[in-house]
Amino acid sequence: MKEEKLITVPEEHLGSLEKRLADLRMLMDVSSIISSTLDFNELVSLVMEKAKEVMHAEACSILIMNRKTGKLEFEVALGTDDTQSEILTKHVTLNPGEGIAGWVAQSSEPVLVSDAARDCRFFGQADSLTGFTTRGMIAVPLIGRSGLIGVAEILNPIEKSCFSEYDLEIFQSLCRQVAVAMENAIFHKESIEREKLSQELELAATIQKSFLPELAVSVRGRISLSGITFPAKHVSGDLYDFVEPVPGKAGMIIGDISGKGVSAALFMAKAISEFRYLMIGIDDPGIVLGRLNRQLSNAPRGMFLTAVYAIADTQSGRVKVAVAGHPPFLWITKNGVQVMHPDAGPPIGIIDTEFPVTEHALEPGDRLLMLTDGVFDAKNSEGARLGFDEITEFVAGHRHAQQLPDMLAEFVNNFAGGADRADDLTVSELRYLA
Amino acid sequence: MEFDVQEYKGSRVIYLGGEIDMHSSPLLRDALLDTIRDKPAKLIVSFRNVSYIDSSGIATFVEGLKHMKTYSGRLQFSEIPKGIMDIFSFSKLDKVFEIFADLDEALSR
Repeated sequence: MKEEKLITVPEEHLGSLEKRLADLRMLMDVSSIISSTLDFNELVSLVMEKAKEVMHAEACSILIMNRKTGKLEFEVALGTDDTQSEILTKHVTLNPGEGIAGWVAQSSEPVLVSDAARDCRFFGQADSLTGFTTRGMIAVPLIGRSGLIGVAEILNPIEKSCFSEYDLEIFQSLCRQVAVAMENAIFHKESIEREKLSQELELAATIQKSFLPELAVSVRGRISLSGITFPAKHVSGDLYDFVEPVPGKAGMIIGDISGKGVSAALFMAKAISEFRYLMIGIDDPGIVLGRLNRQLSNAPRGMFLTAVYAIADTQSGRVKVAVAGHPPFLWITKNGVQVMHPDAGPPIGIIDTEFPVTEHALEPGDRLLMLTDGVFDAKNSEGARLGFDEITEFVAGHRHAQQLPDMLAEFVNNFAGGADRADDLTVSELRYLA
Repeated sequence: MEFDVQEYKGSRVIYLGGEIDMHSSPLLRDALLDTIRDKPAKLIVSFRNVSYIDSSGIATFVEGLKHMKTYSGRLQFSEIPKGIMDIFSFSKLDKVFEIFADLDEALSR
């Protein structure tokens, strides 16, 4: 049998050991809370509630660094009443260096303040607005792998006049865990938001594709129309369409909305819908572009549409063309390629104007190739741009190829290599069949 | 992108530089709208050091022009490099903006 020994421990020391044991339990509790949720708001509230309880503080708060504004904003304020908390979260922000929390954010150093009123860094405005009186406090920076996340504070110790160095040590241990957990929660939240956005954009891209012709090729009489488009992002500001404005005529429009992304895609949807309504029964592309111009004149943020609208006689091959600020198109004959700069109007949606019409008589086998600036403005990984002359040269060298729009798109994609496409890319072709 | 506003012979001139594309045009928009907030009668933009401008950059100037037209202000372009002038020409933007060879010509009109 082992002999038991009795050890005498002073009551004061025993109390201290019990306190340390309680603090260790608190840190383990916090660790368990941290691993129980990835919900940022829930995490912050749970952890700070626990901190307030264990640190025996009247109040505690967390300020988060807003990376866009560079200011500290109150994320949570516990211990104050709801009104005080709302005032802090909605109306109080701190610049780096401003107030004790601002000083902690700027210096990345923790601070223990025994008497706030005597500390020159103290920002009294928060107390004035809320009616809360700050006596003593500890403020600790929350630092993650990517830098400062924010600042955590506990205010006014209960049953003692000021916090101790030991309290600071415990609060720092807690905040190290909180910072890691907050960063994980932020990454998790951002990753969910990115995934959600990506799904939304995929859906938007599917809807947008439904605005374009269902078939890539449309044949009316002796006129064959085809088109191909690649968006720079999920959705595109480019458009093309094949229509029959009047019997015996085939119409083809190609257009490019200024800018890119969702705003350009929404404006594209409006533009193509308006065009389909306005072109019905009109055998003059200039009149249609003029009406479209008036319809889109109130576009937000200076947005505009450049476009070429061609109407071809499905038997004779005569083509009427109106241009609104769009890049030149290429006329491909059996002998070569001609760059066409017909008389034109400015882009649609900017000023009240008219759009001149030019007429062209195609020979059997001739083709009109139209493109958006994403084709010749394509950039490779070295930053070099393709250029219109290179496009013309490529087209001239492949002018007898049947799938010229696809080949041209492939040529541009190969030039860009792995570089992210900066602009939408669209090629459309009007061919007078031999 | 560089954006600098200076006075030249009593008129306000924006000296632009670099590439103006979808990444830089939001900055251009903020700076341009800020410059025309106090409704200058005339605003000249020097494109001398601009190497590239895409449609989002042009749309920003269209927005600025529409703002200025509400109080009969004039937005003038000058010193446009050839590569950019080619884009302005085929886009028929010379029907939209007042374009001049240099600052003095813009000032005299």
